[in-house]
Amino acid sequence: MTGVQPNVPLARTLDVSRMTRERDKPVREEPIALSVENLNLYYGEKQALRNISLTIPQKKVTAFIGPSGCGKSTLLRCFNRMNDLIDGCRTEGAIKLYGRDIFDAEVDAAQLRRRIGMVFQKANPFPKSIYENVAYGLRLAGVNKKRLLDETVEWALKGAALWDEVKDRLEDSALGLSGGQQQRLVIARAIAIQPEVILLDEPCSALDPIATLKIEELMNELKANYTIVIVTHNMQQAARVSDYTAFMYLGDMVEYGDTDQVFTKPAKKQTEDYITGRYG
Amino acid sequence: MDKPLISHHISRQFNVELEDVRQRVLAMGGLVEQQIADATRALVESDGALGQEVSRADHKVNGLEVYIDEECSRILARRQPTASDLRLVVAVIKTITDLERIGDEADRIARMATDLAAQERIGASYVEIGHLSKHVQQMVHSALDAFARMDPEAALAVAREDAAVDREYEALLRQCMTYMMEDPRTIRHVMDLIWSVRALERIGDHARNIAEYVIYFVKGKDVRHISLEEMEKEVKQ
Amino acid sequence: MEPAPQAQELADPARRSLAAQDLRSVRAYVQSGTPWVWLTGAAIATSVIIVAALLGLIAARGMPYFWPADVVVAEYRDPAHEPVRVMAEIVDSEAVSSARLKSAGLAVDEKQALYDRLLIKVGNRDQYGADFRHVLADWLVERATPVDVLVLERTEWGNFYGVPVAVKQAGAAVASGEGVYEAWLPLQERANELRERIRDIEKGAIGAINYRLEQMRLDQRRLELDGRTAAGDPAAYAELAQRKQGLDAEYAVLQQELATLYEDIRRDSLVMKAVTGEENEIALDKIVRGYQPNAMNGLEKSAFYAVKLWEFVSDEPREANTEGGIFPAIFGTVLMVLIMSVIVTPFGVVAAVYLREYARQGTMTRIIRIAVNNLAGVPSIVFGMFGLGFFVYILGGSIDRLFYPEALPAPTFGTPGIMWASLTLALLTLPVVIVATEEGLARIPRSLREASLALGATKAETLWRIVLPMASPAMMTGLILAVARAAGEVAPLMLVGVVKLAPSLPLDANIPFLHLERKFMHLGFHIYDVGFQSPNVEAARPLVYATALLLVGVIVVLNLAAIRIRNRLRERYKALEH
Repeated sequence: MTGVQPNVPLARTLDVSRMTRERDKPVREEPIALSVENLNLYYGEKQALRNISLTIPQKKVTAFIGPSGCGKSTLLRCFNRMNDLIDGCRTEGAIKLYGRDIFDAEVDAAQLRRRIGMVFQKANPFPKSIYENVAYGLRLAGVNKKRLLDETVEWALKGAALWDEVKDRLEDSALGLSGGQQQRLVIARAIAIQPEVILLDEPCSALDPIATLKIEELMNELKANYTIVIVTHNMQQAARVSDYTAFMYLGDMVEYGDTDQVFTKPAKKQTEDYITGRYG
Repeated sequence: MDKPLISHHISRQFNVELEDVRQRVLAMGGLVEQQIADATRALVESDGALGQEVSRADHKVNGLEVYIDEECSRILARRQPTASDLRLVVAVIKTITDLERIGDEADRIARMATDLAAQERIGASYVEIGHLSKHVQQMVHSALDAFARMDPEAALAVAREDAAVDREYEALLRQCMTYMMEDPRTIRHVMDLIWSVRALERIGDHARNIAEYVIYFVKGKDVRHISLEEMEKEVKQ
Repeated sequence: MEPAPQAQELADPARRSLAAQDLRSVRAYVQSGTPWVWLTGAAIATSVIIVAALLGLIAARGMPYFWPADVVVAEYRDPAHEPVRVMAEIVDSEAVSSARLKSAGLAVDEKQALYDRLLIKVGNRDQYGADFRHVLADWLVERATPVDVLVLERTEWGNFYGVPVAVKQAGAAVASGEGVYEAWLPLQERANELRERIRDIEKGAIGAINYRLEQMRLDQRRLELDGRTAAGDPAAYAELAQRKQGLDAEYAVLQQELATLYEDIRRDSLVMKAVTGEENEIALDKIVRGYQPNAMNGLEKSAFYAVKLWEFVSDEPREANTEGGIFPAIFGTVLMVLIMSVIVTPFGVVAAVYLREYARQGTMTRIIRIAVNNLAGVPSIVFGMFGLGFFVYILGGSIDRLFYPEALPAPTFGTPGIMWASLTLALLTLPVVIVATEEGLARIPRSLREASLALGATKAETLWRIVLPMASPAMMTGLILAVARAAGEVAPLMLVGVVKLAPSLPLDANIPFLHLERKFMHLGFHIYDVGFQSPNVEAARPLVYATALLLVGVIVVLNLAAIRIRNRLRERYKALEH
């Protein structure tokens, strides 16, 4: 930190016209990774998502916020077709990944999930070694060369800011790691197969504040290379990490826009009430 | 209490944002200092053109104030700063208000200078006014320096300086009154000068305010509306 | 100052009543939970005591069997008969009322209410007709334990109790009187070695030749069944004839060798004088071992005990299972359980995986689950019936017709055997494995399956790489329960493969080594057979206890092995805790 030199006025020439902050562009001007078109989702008779349409920009962090049961996790799980596993779950409409509908009959769900990784609410490392956890997706993809595996595991762990903490105990069980480390391990496991999109479903809800901040910082770094979508019921977290925020309520998309705008001047009364804690 | 480490957050983005705000406050301070200096020069040297230029440049200060203000509210909304971070943001919001007021005072002096330059120059008090201006410029500069270095001692020194400025102001005021009594035709002219002197004195008060915000930011103690002795005690603790 | 509340209560006459106080204190005692703790503690204590008593009884009855007891020489004076000299081990003693003894025809004095009745082992069954007899302790007088008494364990007719008189070598006495025992020992050693060699040849070499001869006979029969007659395919028959010739030649050589060995082993004999005074000449090839219990000290007896115990677990049975060891039964039990495990584990696991992972959960799966659970409650003898009716007759009969037509009408698989026994028990224990595995599968957190799927794994890959390894401890638990149940099961086995005495083990040196069609011996059945089907019940009773103890031991060992494996798996996949 530098002090001010005596008697040398600062910034003699200031160009005020340039002094407007670089703001995120409106969503519609960003290059699109995922686009949701008129999506309706039903659990049996019950409709969980109503006519959702939005676009997820590339290499940005998009957050879904809303009260419990508003459908934000459901929407997230549509992106990698995790809802396929639930009996009686039915969707209408389309979700397009780089223009290709992921519900298309020709799209293989397993292949799709390699392109769209997911991190869950509770850190869920496999009861294997740290190394094997990260290598799991690679082995599934048929990578068996020891050197390639070693390199990729190291790269992924570095990418998840975990390498320095675990490099000396890669063969230890992943279950011996702390909660925050486990969650970063799970992120490393997800990025090891180099997906295009990473979905995070309340990734910090079981972590202490410092571990949470580390994960948030990690997201900030990851967005240079990945499109990130995060569901969180911690509004402050959404404010901290995201570039765009969508507020959902009872299966509807109430408001979607630049995070600055949503958190300082929300357009909808419902959004305002929720983020100011008047919801109820 | 140690100096707050504003660049040691886990979130690097937060570091960048806080540092950016801080730098811009200093830049705004620099701009304001320049404005005071230019306005005083226009007054002392009866340079109407310079006075007009200073008045025109005031929007830059206003622009910076709006910008920093917005940035601070954005930080409040998105980062939910706490403790020293919160005090920094609060201090910044208050500081820029005072800086903007200083800018306004400079603008006032510049306008006086423009008016007076069109009139016949009288031989009254210009040197003293120049001296007072140097003094308050120094105060503003020291206050910003204390802000930049997070140095409560330096801020305390600025607060002490304010008393000297007040005495100088009173001396100048008496001098001007003498002029007016000597030659009543100069009353209008001298009255304008008095307004300028008054503006410089106000700038000194604003500099003291800024110094108080620095103490609040670094020490977490509100030292407004108390005597200098009490303030010293608070800072030394 | 206000009096304390309790003092006020006591001042109230209604509350001061003792009954009320007692009632209150009883209720307080019950509410404190102490009686509940005592109740539960008592229940567990009872269980522990019962188990300990069970094992204690079995051990106490079974273990002394191998101890070389002193042999008593005495005169038995039954008032109704001439006094006789007896030489016997005292095995047991009990108090019997004189009335009962009188009704048994003994001239007892009715004034004495109770008599001590001894069970003594007199041996010499070839002379007395029975090994054991009852005597009244009061009438057995002039007891003595002379050191020169020699007990001979024989290959037939049980033990012989007597005093050695002379040792004969090829009919001529080489020692008599003093030093007979010492002179006899090396000769007996030689005889035992010879017997060992004879057994090796008979069981090993000649057994192998017989097996090959049988194979050859079957080959020939197969040729005939294929329609290849001697005229049509002379080469094949010539080859068979040549093989037969070769085997015959080998057989002749062995036969020759055996004849010599038999000649050798019969060379020597031992002359023993029984307590009655008559002399018996016993060929050494009929003697297994001899010992002088009265001359032994504690250490020698312990060593002898160890030898007997080892013989018990490692040797084959003699004399209708009442003597010798029970090795074939141990072997059969363990092998049967292992084969069963190999069958039931994959089968049960696959069934559970389908039921839990792939089948649509609905009425149908619920019905199947109920059916599986009920299967566990079906009496085991019903499984035995099924095994006999379906596995042995239908399945085994079909296999025989299809693959072993040359052996017909003698059945190969169409008769009870270790494979059918294992299969039947596998069926019996299948529900246990299915239920345990399903339980294990259900306990695997959904989040781990989702994690795997989210990384691009298919359902099958998730199952193989994550779910099944993590469920393996549960599978092992199922297997442990299955083993515990199967190893103790006897009833169904009697129908599908267990025999009293199997001529050969199901595992031997003849290709293909494991003979699944063979019948086998089993500890559980052995207990039943020896204890209740034996001609010599008194001799067999301690053996029943010893065998039972061994059965418990075998089951414990099998279970411990499985539990060890399970715990290691658990350690490896301990993700289930959180």
